[in-house]
Amino acid sequence: MSISRWLLVIYCIYLLLPLYWLSSVALQTNADITGEFAVLPQNPTLSNFAEIWHNPVWSSAFVNSLSYVFLNTVISIVVAVPAAYVFSRYRFLGDRQLFFWLLTNRMAPPAVFLLPFFQLYSAVGLFDTPLAVALAHCLFTVPLSVWILEGFMSAVPTELDDMARIDGHSFGFFFLRIFVPVNRGAIGVTLFFCFMFSWVELLLARTLTGSAAKPIVVTMTRTVSASGLDWGVLAAAGVLTVIPGIIVVWFVRKHLVKGFALGRVT
Amino acid sequence: MLQLSQIQLAPGAAAFDHTFAAGALTVVLGRNRSGKTNLCRLVAGLTCSAKGEVTLDGQRITQLSPQSRSVAVVFQAFVNYPNWTVAENIASPMRARGVAWRDREARAKQLAEVLGLEQFLQRLPHELSGGQQQRLAIARAMAKQAQILVLDEPLVNLDYKLRESLVLELRGVLQQAGTAVIYTSTDPKDAFALGDELVLLDGHAKLQAGRPLEVYQYPQNFAAANLMSDPGVNAFTTPATLVAAARRAAVRPEHVYLADSAPCADVIEFAMDVQGLETSGDETFIHGSVDGNSWVIRRPGIVNVSVGQRLPVVVRKGDIMRFGVA
Repeated sequence: MSISRWLLVIYCIYLLLPLYWLSSVALQTNADITGEFAVLPQNPTLSNFAEIWHNPVWSSAFVNSLSYVFLNTVISIVVAVPAAYVFSRYRFLGDRQLFFWLLTNRMAPPAVFLLPFFQLYSAVGLFDTPLAVALAHCLFTVPLSVWILEGFMSAVPTELDDMARIDGHSFGFFFLRIFVPVNRGAIGVTLFFCFMFSWVELLLARTLTGSAAKPIVVTMTRTVSASGLDWGVLAAAGVLTVIPGIIVVWFVRKHLVKGFALGRVT
Repeated sequence: MLQLSQIQLAPGAAAFDHTFAAGALTVVLGRNRSGKTNLCRLVAGLTCSAKGEVTLDGQRITQLSPQSRSVAVVFQAFVNYPNWTVAENIASPMRARGVAWRDREARAKQLAEVLGLEQFLQRLPHELSGGQQQRLAIARAMAKQAQILVLDEPLVNLDYKLRESLVLELRGVLQQAGTAVIYTSTDPKDAFALGDELVLLDGHAKLQAGRPLEVYQYPQNFAAANLMSDPGVNAFTTPATLVAAARRAAVRPEHVYLADSAPCADVIEFAMDVQGLETSGDETFIHGSVDGNSWVIRRPGIVNVSVGQRLPVVVRKGDIMRFGVA
């Protein structure tokens, strides 16, 4: 093997090592973890995962996280697909400015919006619900989705729209049965970006939830108990947190490169 | 019968009228940006900068949406529904009309056979070659069974050989359709190969219309003659006597002969400064200038001329086209 190959292998090991260590810790008891150093788990056990499965604090945290991530992704896609279509197909007064303004929303750090969101949601009774986190995340994911989708949709020739009209299809039929399926790769990529943002975001998720809608990332930071830190369970939760991301990446892997270029590669 | 009245293809362009006869194929010939696509989009009811009244069989359709017009269009780019198979693509206009699934399928198969796509019915458009994709677009347009079929430079994105063979095929296919066909092109050859009728467009306005040979033989003005000739006609200003009577005169590239092979006695001589040569073996184009006008001469075979040479050429008086207005 050439040197470049070796370098690549070393780099991959470097990237995968933390993941491996996380999985390895998740499969051991606390006694083994704090005991002697071992590359392979000495007494592999699934008890940590069982603990998460049976303990309502952990399982409800997963459900909370998944529900606001799901809500956020659905809202973002439903809002952004028609918006991106309009930006890619119509010229109207201030369209470029509006489009750019959408992106500038992403330039503000999320912390800036903590106080207004907290105050507002407390006032209208949204505080400590998955919907609160989902809506807060939409402030960031909707502009990003519009931006990505617009790039992809602009690459679809407008003759496709014209042709559907000439063939006699209604706009609804064209949009839902022709245009959306044509852009399904783009929508998959957008879904991935929304999912990833919402899944790993900690600050807003922690501030806008109390005990009822506490997400997994927050639960993980609060595992210190009177008996000390439960390393094994924490690692098992970590493993479970990584899995949804891997699943989503798997589905959109073919479109991801184009997605990172915001669709502007043809 | 499709009647266009007071058509303005671009803001500020001269308005004109034209009638496309049912059952005839009309070639609309014009250079790039001469308003051909605008004309097509106006007829189809798509957004464009052209304005005017469109009447189909005595019924005004100017305000109708593309969905409710009896007009089918084939675009210059190969546009097909990328997520639908060939069969579904062809059946698309019938699906919109609510034709039963079984009938749709049968008709799609029939049209695929006419256009040589029968082996590809279950493929997706991107698995077809460029020529096949455009044939698919034509099949879909024909499936609409519209009274007007518009083809906007349908073959321009295809390679040369494929274009020639498709033009021959199209002639038969489009006649079967029995509708008024509007076919736009930049190539005068298409007009002769396909057209029952010919409309010349220049600068977003109608120059001349008629049968292709008539238009070729009797161009009404210089621009019309220039458009019908590929390469363009050679304008000249000398000898003074000839031009004074006509204000503008021109001769086609194929009607300029080399002085040493003069076909008859009644000729005018010109001296041409040769600036370039192109040959395809069976034909040679000599580019150069005569009295400051750039000329092209088309001669059969390979001609022994060199660049920079002053070449004596002759033109028969009978071949000279004279125009009253430039």
